[in-house]
Amino acid sequence: MTWELKSDRPIYTQLIEHIELMICSGVYPLGSKLPSVRDMAQEAAVNPNTMQRALVKLEEEGLIITHRTSGRSVTEDESMVEMAKSKLAQEQISEFLGKMQLMGFEQKEILTIINKMVKEMKQ
Amino acid sequence: MLRKLLKYELKATGRIFLPLFLALLVFAAINRFTLSLDKFDAPAIISGISMFIYIIIMVGMFAMTFIMTIQRFNKNLLSDEGYLMFTLPVKPWKHIVSKLFVSMLWMVASGIVALISILIIALKKGAFTQFTEVFATFYLQAIEQLGASVYLLSFEIILGILVSLASSILIVYASIAIGHLFNEHKMLASFGAFILLSTLAQFFILLVSLIPGIAFYTNVQISSFLDFIGLQWLLQMVMAYGIIYAALLSAAFFAVTNRIISKRLNLE
Amino acid sequence: MSTIFECTDLTKKFGSKVALSGVNLKLERGQIVGLLGPNGSGKTTLIKLANELLTPTSGTLLIGGKKPGIETKKIVSYLPEKTYLNDWMRVRQIIELFSDFYENFKPEKAYDMLKSLNIDANDRLKTMSKGTKEKVQLILVMSREAELYLLDEPIGGVDPAARDYILKTILGNYNENATVIISTHLISDIENILDYVVFINEGKVVMTSSVDDIRHEKGQSVNGLFREVFKC
Repeated sequence: MTWELKSDRPIYTQLIEHIELMICSGVYPLGSKLPSVRDMAQEAAVNPNTMQRALVKLEEEGLIITHRTSGRSVTEDESMVEMAKSKLAQEQISEFLGKMQLMGFEQKEILTIINKMVKEMKQ
Repeated sequence: MLRKLLKYELKATGRIFLPLFLALLVFAAINRFTLSLDKFDAPAIISGISMFIYIIIMVGMFAMTFIMTIQRFNKNLLSDEGYLMFTLPVKPWKHIVSKLFVSMLWMVASGIVALISILIIALKKGAFTQFTEVFATFYLQAIEQLGASVYLLSFEIILGILVSLASSILIVYASIAIGHLFNEHKMLASFGAFILLSTLAQFFILLVSLIPGIAFYTNVQISSFLDFIGLQWLLQMVMAYGIIYAALLSAAFFAVTNRIISKRLNLE
Repeated sequence: MSTIFECTDLTKKFGSKVALSGVNLKLERGQIVGLLGPNGSGKTTLIKLANELLTPTSGTLLIGGKKPGIETKKIVSYLPEKTYLNDWMRVRQIIELFSDFYENFKPEKAYDMLKSLNIDANDRLKTMSKGTKEKVQLILVMSREAELYLLDEPIGGVDPAARDYILKTILGNYNENATVIISTHLISDIENILDYVVFINEGKVVMTSSVDDIRHEKGQSVNGLFREVFKC
């Protein structure tokens, strides 16, 4: 997954979102060891201090754990990841619903469209 | 650090001079051969051409010592390469000394190589023994007339040559450095500085001779040339003055150059 | 000490022309700083002062608490905007020169980077294109374990692939003890790797800020802010 960073929002918030996504989608599996701050910063082409900030925040949220001697890893606690997943999902959906409302769609219409598209998705 | 600078300075200049030295010696050998062909009524044009080439190389070699002196200082320190040289953790005076030393080296070496090449061309059988005989006679005479001070004198002569060489190179460096201070027409300014500094050097000796008591020495009569004790003493005085004069000039030019490249550097 | 670069009332005049006027600046270790300003704003003058290629008219500049001199040159690695290496030398010989004069130069690093860029160490500089020469210079500068890196327009006139390589190299070289100052006018290309920016114009420091603060408080990129601040 490429790190796409927009220029008008703080980088570290975008990094947090991106890493969360990678954890939720399993690109960084549960309990797996994360690359060093330096390597991650290089990969994302961002300042290491900024990457550090993002990782520290994710640690506060409980998605990442720092081991004293062996660096950082993704949490092994599946419920944490599930929580993050549903939080992300809710954020995506509320953004979506906001836009739909702006366009004037009613609740029933929205559900119909969603159902149709979800069915198409499974195929 | 100075040793390292010397190493790189030698590498940068050696690649020009060593081939020249080789070429000169080779053509000296060629000339010896072509000149000997004259015995067999060979067309004079052959020896003419080879002598011509030889002389061109000789002139080129000496010209190169002068050109390199200027170019190494100007190009390596005061143009783009200066960005590298002046960010090395080395005090600026070491740059001056390394370039001065290597310039002097090539000048002396050129002289020696030129001498050797002449010997290659002109040395006849037995000439070497003749030469050593003449030298021995001269040496004995010198000892007779001047005593052991002939060693001191020889040393002073060599020292004098070296110090004069140094001052003539340092006046060039100082002129280039002064020219560097100008934003435009740097070459013209350097030239002007050279003339100014040369004039000041002459002035300096004039001033020195005005010191009371010094004039006494300059009035020594030619007849004292025959007075052997006076000769020795006179020679010592002249040598000492010459060396001190050249040394003071060298120090002054060095100080000017160092001051400019330390405090008033302004690379484009 | 944690302050690696400090200017106090730094002024530099060339005759009557004022290149820098009363610059006050303090930069900590472990940062990647952008020195941003239009052409002629005094960026290069400031960098030259840090390298003792110029001497201040008044005020002071300290690197690691010391005035520019032999001790600071040992810990400062400078990439000028121009090609400054001896044309007749081979890359290998220049690496030898750097090893000789700089204790903290790591030749292995240089050779590794040369290899990954397919540059032959036996080539003479004068046979190389301008772009390749610039890459060689960058490699030499980044192969030193310095405490302050001063890069003057490192990505100007370089193709995007090379630019990415340069930025990755700068990031890969990062350590908390060293600070990198990048002077450039191509801001959008390097924004993401900067911690901190210094806006300079007409010899004066106009603004200093962390990149995150700019994006957070002003909701725009550094590039956007720059264009706003330096509107003609």
